[in-house]
Amino acid sequence: MSSRARQLWHSGEPFIWLTGGALAFALVLVLGLLGLIVANGLGFFWPSDVVRLTLTDGRTVSGLLVEREAIPEGAGRNRVKLKVANRDLYGADFQWVDEAVIARRDHPRDVVVMERTEWGLLIGTIKEVRDGGRIVASGAEQGLAELERRLPGVALARREIKRIEKGEVGAINHAQEKIRLGLRRLSLRGVTSGPAVDSLQREMAVLQAQYTAEEARLVDLRGRQTASVVVAADGGREKDLPLLQVLRVDSPNAMSLAAKSVRYLARVLEFVWSDPRESNTEGGVFPAIFGTVMMVLIMSVMVAPLGVLAAFYLREYARQGTFVSAVRIAVNNLAGVPSIVFGVFGVGFFIYFVGGTIDRLFFSESLPSPTFGTGGILWASLTLALLTVPVVIVATEEGLAAIPRGMREASLALGATKLETTLRVVLPAVMPSILTGLILAMARAAGEVAPLMITGVVKLAPALPVDGFWPFVHLDRKFMHLGFHIYDVGFQSPNVDAARPMVFVTTLLLLAIVVLLNLFAIGLRNRLRRKYAMSAV
Amino acid sequence: MAINLRTFRDGDAAPPARPLTVSRTRASRRILLDRISSRLVVLGGIVIIASILAILLVIAAEVYPLFLKPSATFVRAYPPATAGVLAAGDSIGVDEYREVAFAVTRNGAVALAALDGNGKRSLPPVTAPSLGTATVTTVSAPAKGGYLLGTSDGRVIPLEVKFDVTFPNGERTVTPRPEFGAAASLDPERKRAIVRLGHASTASGPLTVAQVGPTELLVHKVIEKKALIGGARKEETSAALTIPLDGEVTALRLDSRGEDLFIGTSRGQIVWYDLRDADPKQTGAVEVGEAPVTALGFLLGDRTLVTGDGRGAVATWQIVPAGGARRLTLIHRFKGHRGPVVAVDASKRDKGFATADARGEVHVHYGTSGQTLLSVTTGTADLRSVVFAPKSDALLVVDRDGGFRQWRLDNPHPGVTLGTLFGKVWYEGYSEPAWVWQSTGGTDDFEAKLSLTPLVYGTLKGTFYALLFAVPIALLAAIYVSEFMHAAIKNYVKPVVEIMAALPSVVLGFFAGLWLAPVVERVVPGLFLMPAVVAVAILGALLVWRTVPAAIRGRFRTGTEMLLVLPVVVGSGAVALALGGLVERVVLAGSYRGWLLSALGLTYDQRNSLVVGIAMGFAVIPIIFTIAEDSLANVPQHLRAGSLALGATRWQTAIRIVLPTASPGIFSAIMIGFGRAVGETMIVLMATGNTPVMDWSIFNGFRALSANIAVELPEAPEAGTLFRVLFLAAFLLFCLTFAVNTVAELVRLKLRQKYRYL
Repeated sequence: MSSRARQLWHSGEPFIWLTGGALAFALVLVLGLLGLIVANGLGFFWPSDVVRLTLTDGRTVSGLLVEREAIPEGAGRNRVKLKVANRDLYGADFQWVDEAVIARRDHPRDVVVMERTEWGLLIGTIKEVRDGGRIVASGAEQGLAELERRLPGVALARREIKRIEKGEVGAINHAQEKIRLGLRRLSLRGVTSGPAVDSLQREMAVLQAQYTAEEARLVDLRGRQTASVVVAADGGREKDLPLLQVLRVDSPNAMSLAAKSVRYLARVLEFVWSDPRESNTEGGVFPAIFGTVMMVLIMSVMVAPLGVLAAFYLREYARQGTFVSAVRIAVNNLAGVPSIVFGVFGVGFFIYFVGGTIDRLFFSESLPSPTFGTGGILWASLTLALLTVPVVIVATEEGLAAIPRGMREASLALGATKLETTLRVVLPAVMPSILTGLILAMARAAGEVAPLMITGVVKLAPALPVDGFWPFVHLDRKFMHLGFHIYDVGFQSPNVDAARPMVFVTTLLLLAIVVLLNLFAIGLRNRLRRKYAMSAV
Repeated sequence: MAINLRTFRDGDAAPPARPLTVSRTRASRRILLDRISSRLVVLGGIVIIASILAILLVIAAEVYPLFLKPSATFVRAYPPATAGVLAAGDSIGVDEYREVAFAVTRNGAVALAALDGNGKRSLPPVTAPSLGTATVTTVSAPAKGGYLLGTSDGRVIPLEVKFDVTFPNGERTVTPRPEFGAAASLDPERKRAIVRLGHASTASGPLTVAQVGPTELLVHKVIEKKALIGGARKEETSAALTIPLDGEVTALRLDSRGEDLFIGTSRGQIVWYDLRDADPKQTGAVEVGEAPVTALGFLLGDRTLVTGDGRGAVATWQIVPAGGARRLTLIHRFKGHRGPVVAVDASKRDKGFATADARGEVHVHYGTSGQTLLSVTTGTADLRSVVFAPKSDALLVVDRDGGFRQWRLDNPHPGVTLGTLFGKVWYEGYSEPAWVWQSTGGTDDFEAKLSLTPLVYGTLKGTFYALLFAVPIALLAAIYVSEFMHAAIKNYVKPVVEIMAALPSVVLGFFAGLWLAPVVERVVPGLFLMPAVVAVAILGALLVWRTVPAAIRGRFRTGTEMLLVLPVVVGSGAVALALGGLVERVVLAGSYRGWLLSALGLTYDQRNSLVVGIAMGFAVIPIIFTIAEDSLANVPQHLRAGSLALGATRWQTAIRIVLPTASPGIFSAIMIGFGRAVGETMIVLMATGNTPVMDWSIFNGFRALSANIAVELPEAPEAGTLFRVLFLAAFLLFCLTFAVNTVAELVRLKLRQKYRYL
């Protein structure tokens, strides 16, 4: 080894560069992960062009280009993956095409991409539009124009049907269920006949009549929608699709950049605001967003007073000594206990003990089907409150420790009692720290999934925890959650390949919520530290 | 108002001072309020903290019943229902609700006893119609279709005891309905008495084995052939079978499938016949002991044989496949009796069984765990038989005259001991004891196999690979940030690491399972080359950098090396992957998987520990980094200054002075990272195949404690054995992480004190 090299070695500079490399590697990992999710998530909504591949054997394949890769053991050849959609016609959403057999690629302007309520996307050319068996428009151009003329009306009808199904029929079902429980409650008390029972049964009969009427209305509404569109797909196949199933028609190859941007925004909005379709693999995630937000809010309402009270006790009221130090360490360490353990506690204590007791005392008429004795949004929120209470305690305590003693002493010297000092001097000063802790707790809760899986999250909740029926907020209901949505769609759905983009978008949304909350908390904390660093001088 | 606030605000001249009057009542109210509130805060604080810490207690309370000792409480004794001597064999039974028990007597009557206890309900005995002058000599163990009575004149009579459950006036009433079938003669010529009897229903038809002499058996088969036209045709065959013995047959048991016949002899042997062929042949014989085998029985599922002998020894045996042959193998020996074992009965719910001796002593054992759970002194003189209630919640014994005694059993979790949870257990159908987790199965007689060892193993395996990936990166990065990095960049780097810490684990799990796993699968050789390639590339970059003119180099301040290294890392990472492809083609014959299998004997799962290690590394790196960086940065500045002043380089200062001082903090950083990895749920759930195998290979998956809880708890019935075992898993996780974190916290506290003295 030359002396210069030895000198370099002894200076330690190579090691410093290596440690720098480790840091760089870690940063590349994080930024790469974030970039990957952002890129995949944001790209999903873009109405990309449909490409038509003409193969050397004369067949055509059209679809959306998804990826391109080297053929394994294929000696440098590549293949492309097309999303050909039309699951009902072809059986699979995706198709690999060897680039060597592609004779021609083009982007025909008349190809349409249809979003529909079943079977995923439909890609093809419009052949004709029919109404009650009569052809009202034929050809791609006329067909598209006719479709665009008719779709708003169809959408209205669809909304009306949904309103009746969810709103009116739902209300009848709800009332019937209440009457059934009322009858059960009476029979538990030993009343099986008499005026009370009769009046309930009369109400039931009225409701049943209403139900039949609504059903008839639905049949009528559906019967009036007779129009359908015939779409020609590759390989000479045709699909006769009732207009009632068509959600949206795009012809991406003919769209301008501006039109595409508008469509992009519309789809983002739809994702955020609409209900999921096809076992969560399409449509929106509104119930999951709603469930996540509501759960986090309930948790915050629980965790803030409890955490703050505990922290004030530990720092302001308890006599400092070995015991309080031990408690402090224990509370600190609780933050490191696996979240699934909290979930197990929630199952054992909240659901089966507390919930089971509530059911026996107040909801005995609906037993053996449990009301509170099963997972629900309340128990999930309480479990998460327990999980995050150390975060709030630690942050609040840190804030309390940073408040100069002089502030408290000045207040006491002016004759204020300890309570007055705490409420008027200490609490305002520590408020930002509490807020930091609370935001960190919310971020943690929003991203946590494991304890929820056993305390009340479901794949598809039939109703939101808030609706128009008394008492409006239903804390016993199961709910949907963005994090669980990712797990469920990504790992439990039958068609993971087709659902993957959807998972990326949901992940992006969750990540955005969590990262923004964290950045907010970090910013707040840094400002506080600067403030106290100055005031301590 | 004593003080005029407006005065202070406006800064005007104060109005003439008034004497400051303090209202006594107001002051005392304030003081009272203050006292009350401080009491409330103290109370509230203590309650909150206590309830947070009560988590452990609640979980422990759910686990505790698993280890409760089973108990038996005497219910009462019932007088004989009819005058008559109990027939030999499995001649007693009881209904599901424990309301009616029955016993078959020698004179062919089914004596019925109401168990409700007040003696008001008397049930008349039902007698076999076709018995004639003969007596019932033996009753076979119940198989599909009920009991079979053997008579003194060589006939068999089927007996089925049905219980009708009705609810007149909302009260449950159980009415027994014994039904006798048509008698059939097994020994029409010689009409020898049937001493012992076994019957089974095979796929082709019923099979009966009867002992008619000291060593003579009759094997009676009915083969039902279904013809296309003309309905079923029955074909009966009867064969005599003489056991070549110098003793005599003392016990006989046929499994319910009609496949294996076990014969206990007076010389303490078990002779085993395989009846599956048309011609029964002796397959094996084993020595049980020196005393005669007096009782044989099967555990639920008829795979495990229970033997009891004349000296009171009890053991279980299984047919174990060994090298193509099947061998009867001793599994467990149980606590013995002081007298000869007279009866064996198996639970209809689990692998428990009871043995009784003639002195009235009953032991309850559990077949899988090899434990004797209970000993009951029944006080019955001349005890003849013992039977489990169908729900295994009670035990009945009967004496010679048909007088019953009932014990309630309280034994909700019979199969669980520390031994079965953590040790190797020899399950039915396994060729050796093993650690197995398999909580649910397809069949009714499936036995849940709840060994936590594979799960603990999986947790530790995942943690090991995660730390293997995370610790070097996190520590080196922490050293760089705290010792060498320029403060200006630090402010940008640290928030990035905090964001990394905040990434929800479901996001990491999704990323690992759906994106990383297929990618890793393609570039495995490249990944293994990457550390070396990147390190070499960084050193190369340093050498190149030193040849750059000092004028340019000088413009980069010390502490910004990371910015230069960043592109090198990205570039060399890509080079490593490409190189990996090359290595795979040239060295590994085109397929690393083929090479792994042929050279190392390893298989490759797509979702494996490598993927989990990387993904969990994401979760662990920021934790280790933050704590390690914190303890490094807090090393008193004068130590560094002193070292540098004495001529040490930056690196020497960092390694020889700062690192040893902060080493407890680094230890605690790794401990806390360990705690996080142990409890991580979503990543291991999504990025492994969740198969509970025990295998250290980095290319295989595993099942961790945490993921197992998440998967199985929603399906586990409340207060059941699985439910409680899952709580035990949570308890273990809690204790492990809490202990590790406490140690780490104490170490850190100590370190902080040390810094204060330095």
